Amino acid sequence: MERRLTKLLVANRGEIALRIIRSARLFGLKTVAVYSAADAKSAHVGAADEAIAIGPAQPAKSYLDIAAIIAAAKHCGADAIHPGYGFLSERPEFAQAAADAQIVFVGPRPEVMAALGDKVAARRIAVAAGVPVVPGIEAAEISATREFAALVGYPLVVKAAAGGGGRGMRVVAQAAQLESALGAAAREAAAAFGDGRIFVEKYLAYPRHIEIQFLGDDHGAVAAFGERDCSIQRRHQKIIEESPAPGLTDQMRAKIIDAALKLARAARYTNAGTAEFLVEGDNFYFLEVNARLQVEHPVTEMRFGCDLVCEQLRIASGGKAPVPAAPRGAAIECRINAEDPEHDFRPATGTVLHLSVPGGPGVRFDSHLARGAEVTPWYDGLLGKLICYGANREEARGRLVNALDEFALLGVTNNAAYLRDIVASGQFRDAKLSTRFIDSFFSGWEIGKSEIDAAIVAAAITGGGAMGDIPSDGAALPAGAERRSPWDDLKNFELWGSRR
Amino acid sequence: MKLTRVGDSREIDAEVISRDGSTIRVRIGDRQLAAEFTANADGGGVLTIDGRRYLIFGARRKDSILVSVGPASFEFMPAEAAFRRRARGLAAPEIIAPMPGKVLKLMVRDGDLVEAGQALVVIEAMKMETTLAAESAAMVKHVRVEEGQMVDHGAVLIELSPSPASSGRESAPRVE
Repeated sequence: MERRLTKLLVANRGEIALRIIRSARLFGLKTVAVYSAADAKSAHVGAADEAIAIGPAQPAKSYLDIAAIIAAAKHCGADAIHPGYGFLSERPEFAQAAADAQIVFVGPRPEVMAALGDKVAARRIAVAAGVPVVPGIEAAEISATREFAALVGYPLVVKAAAGGGGRGMRVVAQAAQLESALGAAAREAAAAFGDGRIFVEKYLAYPRHIEIQFLGDDHGAVAAFGERDCSIQRRHQKIIEESPAPGLTDQMRAKIIDAALKLARAARYTNAGTAEFLVEGDNFYFLEVNARLQVEHPVTEMRFGCDLVCEQLRIASGGKAPVPAAPRGAAIECRINAEDPEHDFRPATGTVLHLSVPGGPGVRFDSHLARGAEVTPWYDGLLGKLICYGANREEARGRLVNALDEFALLGVTNNAAYLRDIVASGQFRDAKLSTRFIDSFFSGWEIGKSEIDAAIVAAAITGGGAMGDIPSDGAALPAGAERRSPWDDLKNFELWGSRR
Repeated sequence: MKLTRVGDSREIDAEVISRDGSTIRVRIGDRQLAAEFTANADGGGVLTIDGRRYLIFGARRKDSILVSVGPASFEFMPAEAAFRRRARGLAAPEIIAPMPGKVLKLMVRDGDLVEAGQALVVIEAMKMETTLAAESAAMVKHVRVEEGQMVDHGAVLIELSPSPASSGRESAPRVE
């Protein structure tokens, strides 16, 4: 069953496209990037051996256009497609279209994806496999949902059947909000996934989100690569993830891994997948399977010393799933997003004017950012993932705090300072983890007063014109000026800014 | 110079009073701060205030000033530009698209009276729904967009005027 692959088309953008291109090159493959009009200057385009334009900025007409991507793959002679995460990564039609074009899809088979990638269908498989699930109701018609609510009580959570990343998800605290929440969730789901189906579950009070990474191969083997704790979420979108899950007993870990493997085997799963669970007290409940590589996969890679994308490519070539090495140490990831934490996390856009990237032992920054890069409103706002490894959790955490302190980004409002304060907090240090962590400890976050003072001083120096030797309008330095002002370089920044 | 931090209605009166080598004295409102500033070669510098050191970078973008203090980033505008927005006794007399996107839902019509915090319009951008709300009590003077319309960053979506029920004075921003 060995298939010799030669050229991989990466059907995605941003940090994940770059990350896949790197591993594909290591695996010995030629790489092809695809890009929308909005991404013509994006980092992944330059990183690949070839790049093909697939359409305008609108995702529906480019990254979500199955025909355009398959045509691009045929055009350049790619024999494999990696879908990344998001976009088409969990669309069985896409995997099928690749198969029909004799192109290897780096992911589960279409029928497996259809069964597990759909949250409602996945619940049914879990129930059949004897894996516990959260009480819930399908279809979510208003009258039936009211009956369900009367049975299990509020709060409830509304989710998109085709969902992911918290989109199309709504928590309903009381009966009065139910109808509008169902409508909003369905609208968001339809817009984000082209599939407006929703379902409703009981909302657990203070659960932890624990997930199991697994890899399956064509020879029937499935291997689990430990767990990740992804409890720290804001509006159901993960922002900090780590492995191992702090404080989880070995028995509980073994039980959850066993449930994940049972599910994967029941579904005859191949390639990379993740089974997500909620854990509350001594109980755990299956949530869903993500039939793709996930954003937070690096924490597993750092702890297990593996390259999950290379393993995906090996499995797609007909090779075997690896036997996991003994995990070592601890890894924590945080997601730096283009959003304004001081204003209800509203999305931000802009051009990167300055970027300082942290470094040092155990520090990994997966990002497509560079000076001049544009963050447009067309795609999600993930700017980069900062992942730190340590011999133990406290060492990983210390490195992450230091790394975030070294991080600076101007031009696109982002959540780095917010993340730094969370990771540096006593609550995070003490691992008081639940999916309500943010609500419980960080809902009213504000930037530190002393930082505001420093910012005002910096702004006064920059804009005040009070410093005689600083050209304020891009004019040349006065002749004979000895000391070069650091702010001279601002001319470059202005160039970038005015080039738009 | 008078600065307004973007997203904050208060004015900050900040002034570099003197500079002696690397020592800078800055007045912020009626407070004075002494700071040490050492330039780096890469366009940033190290600022020391009260013994605390901050790695800072600065940039100008059109009429605003961007600075980062460690991982935190800030945008300041000269006060005149920010003041124009609030001239009519409202925290924000216009509801402006904070990013390009699509108008998903309009919750008000011309002539409606709204309260502070009331949701006015939902726009979709970066795959998320963002609800924009009134910053103060107001009357909806003119809804300038329709549902389904694509809007650019900075587009005026809704014009507001002071609510006849309030004096207008009470909702005026503090000017320091």
